[in-house]
Amino acid sequence: MAKTEEKDRVKRANYLSLAGVSKSFGGRAILKEISFQVAMGESVVLLGPSGCGKTTLLRMIAGLETPDAGEIHLDGECVAAPGANLVAPHRRQIGFVFQDLALWAHFTVEGNLQFVLSSQKVPRSEQTGSIVEMLDLVRMQGFAKNYPAELSGGEQQRVALARALIGGPRLLLLDEPFSSLDANLRGELRDELIAIQKRLGITTVSVTHDEEEAEVLADRIVKLREGAIESVTVVKPDKV
Amino acid sequence: MPEGANLGYWRLETNQKQRSIFAKVYSRFSLRGLIFFVAAAGFFCFSVLPVVYMAASSFVSEQGAFSPENYKELLSFDARRRALLLNSAALGLGAACLSTLIGVPLGFLLARAEFTFKRLWRFVLVVPLVIPPYIFALAWVLMLGKPAPEITYSLFGAIIVLGLCFYPLPMLAAEAALRQVDRRMEEAALLAAPPFRVFRRITMPLIAPVVSAVFLIVFVLSVAEFGVPGLLRVRVFTTEVFTAFAALYDIGAATALAVPASFVTLVAAIFAAKLLGEKTLIGRRKHLAAANSTRGNFRFALLAGACVVLFAAVLLPILTLSFEAFAVRSLSKIVLDSGAAIANSLLLSAIGAGLVVIISVILGYTRSRAKTNRRWLADVVFLVIFAVPSTVVGVGIIGLWNRGGLETIYTSQAIIVVGYLARFTPVAALIFGGIVRQIPYSIEEAAAISGANWLRIFGRIVLPNMKNGIAGVWLIIFIFTFGELGTTLLVAPPGETTLPVRIYTLIANTPPSEVAALALLQISVILLPLAFLILWRKPKKKTA
Repeated sequence: MAKTEEKDRVKRANYLSLAGVSKSFGGRAILKEISFQVAMGESVVLLGPSGCGKTTLLRMIAGLETPDAGEIHLDGECVAAPGANLVAPHRRQIGFVFQDLALWAHFTVEGNLQFVLSSQKVPRSEQTGSIVEMLDLVRMQGFAKNYPAELSGGEQQRVALARALIGGPRLLLLDEPFSSLDANLRGELRDELIAIQKRLGITTVSVTHDEEEAEVLADRIVKLREGAIESVTVVKPDKV
Repeated sequence: MPEGANLGYWRLETNQKQRSIFAKVYSRFSLRGLIFFVAAAGFFCFSVLPVVYMAASSFVSEQGAFSPENYKELLSFDARRRALLLNSAALGLGAACLSTLIGVPLGFLLARAEFTFKRLWRFVLVVPLVIPPYIFALAWVLMLGKPAPEITYSLFGAIIVLGLCFYPLPMLAAEAALRQVDRRMEEAALLAAPPFRVFRRITMPLIAPVVSAVFLIVFVLSVAEFGVPGLLRVRVFTTEVFTAFAALYDIGAATALAVPASFVTLVAAIFAAKLLGEKTLIGRRKHLAAANSTRGNFRFALLAGACVVLFAAVLLPILTLSFEAFAVRSLSKIVLDSGAAIANSLLLSAIGAGLVVIISVILGYTRSRAKTNRRWLADVVFLVIFAVPSTVVGVGIIGLWNRGGLETIYTSQAIIVVGYLARFTPVAALIFGGIVRQIPYSIEEAAAISGANWLRIFGRIVLPNMKNGIAGVWLIIFIFTFGELGTTLLVAPPGETTLPVRIYTLIANTPPSEVAALALLQISVILLPLAFLILWRKPKKKTA
């Protein structure tokens, strides 16, 4: 019994695990043997200057790039090995908020969320309820029929978050989520994101170059420099 | 507030007001305005006026008075006209469907699959677009041989020939549109759905407006085409206009005949311009790995399809012509006999393309930088004028230029260049509009802030940024003018001829082998510079 509990604990502590992950583009090494673990429910922030490989790392976790070396494990399953994505992106159950949001311009807000649900074969009857609930969570009730172009920057941000969350992801990835917003709105949305994270207990990996933002969002900060881990700082020891 | 201060404020305000009014007046008569005015006047005289003249003359009776006589006949809509309208519509729709069905998958292959010699593949797949359609029709007739089976001279045959001529348009458009699809949108979808669903629900809807617009453009081009239905004896509006004018010299009837087809093309052109909006068909190829690229069996199937298309649309016509040309007794005699026509064609096309580029670069630039949301109206005008059948333009030019004082132009080769300007300025302006849209306006603003005047900005900043585009457009227009048939056939003065006109007139009364040899000669003159342009640029190294 104790053995099972121990196994479970280890599994929870290594919910997302990167082991020796490297990546080069055009002969230039972008990431060099990156290894770290993220525990279930933990919020880790990858911090570093532009071009240090943060986004590439996030994209590899999502399955949008393949590592040249190393392995990525998610919930005990090896999802990526050198040169191969063992699990396709859409089977990894990952929510991703892109830096430029990448909302689908030809769908309404509702359509953006619906696409995710119908891709996961959620019955139509259940979709409406989930969408209403999610728009409620991100405080976007009443915008269901709007197209992304009709929304402000902050509203688009909320829709992007809703789209990333609606499929019930195992892991939430955020790429510079607030970079395009002004300081006030950034603070407001940051607080909301933390509240949502807390409420859902979702494991999160975010990328930012803003130290202040990193300290607010993170339980733990992984600092990257020139493609390698420079330091790991625990911000909220009680959660790690 | 002391009075003086108040006065001072008033003075300052008045000065500002005066300055702004002066600036407005000045800007209206600025060099930029003047240059645009000259280009627009050129476009109006060469391209718009012949069409307006044709439209107006359809209301004039044989006695020279205003009369709706021509339209009364038209509105009676007898069986002959019904058949004409049906034939034209069927030719346009059939060719547009066939070319889209062939072109879009090929565009997908070029945009989303990696394979060796891709640049060469793109070049050979574009070849049918640059060979004049009547040469395809000639190859089709020669290939099916004598006695000609029923399909040779049929509407169905014309649809196949035009579909194979025009498929590169949807192909290139689909490729450019696919490359411009925001990679992140597809990636966001790939996290939720498998690749095929992402293609169907995200990628396809995003490229649909461009594909639909090009569908309409192919429709318009096919309805306006003269050479193919002319050779394959399919009676459509363009051939009837030619007959009405060339055989009966009845301008009014010729124009009235062209009205239904022109109306259909006008509607199609408006839809196409609205669909395209600010999108551009000339995408700079991004060297980014596509998010949703194709692999495995699907890629293999697409490549196999490309081979079939290549065989049917490029190799078969060229092989047929070559096979016929082998029977020719004296190749040098044919080339010598047609020497004048070849030299004429080369010279006039080069001059024509140069003049078209000069006028259209100004028009395209002004269209793209205009501060109005009605810019698409300019596109509609360009598309509609371009869509006017070549024979209609020819008749319009004759009516307009055949008058006292203009004989020097009308009786010389210059009138052929006028024909080229009339037909191809609009399409060049459309392309330049797209090219200018890709140049960030901020680089011009930066130059303006540094104190440069408009002419300097245009000459030193805008034009150098477009130099590849300008060379490309010149070449495209050269190719078009070198193959121009419908207008030149009508306007060329007696004794002056171009290679397409010579080939077209020789078809009726010369052994097929000689015509085939000339057609091959024409193809090679077009393909050699094009091959040089497309293949000489080394592909850049891929970067992350």
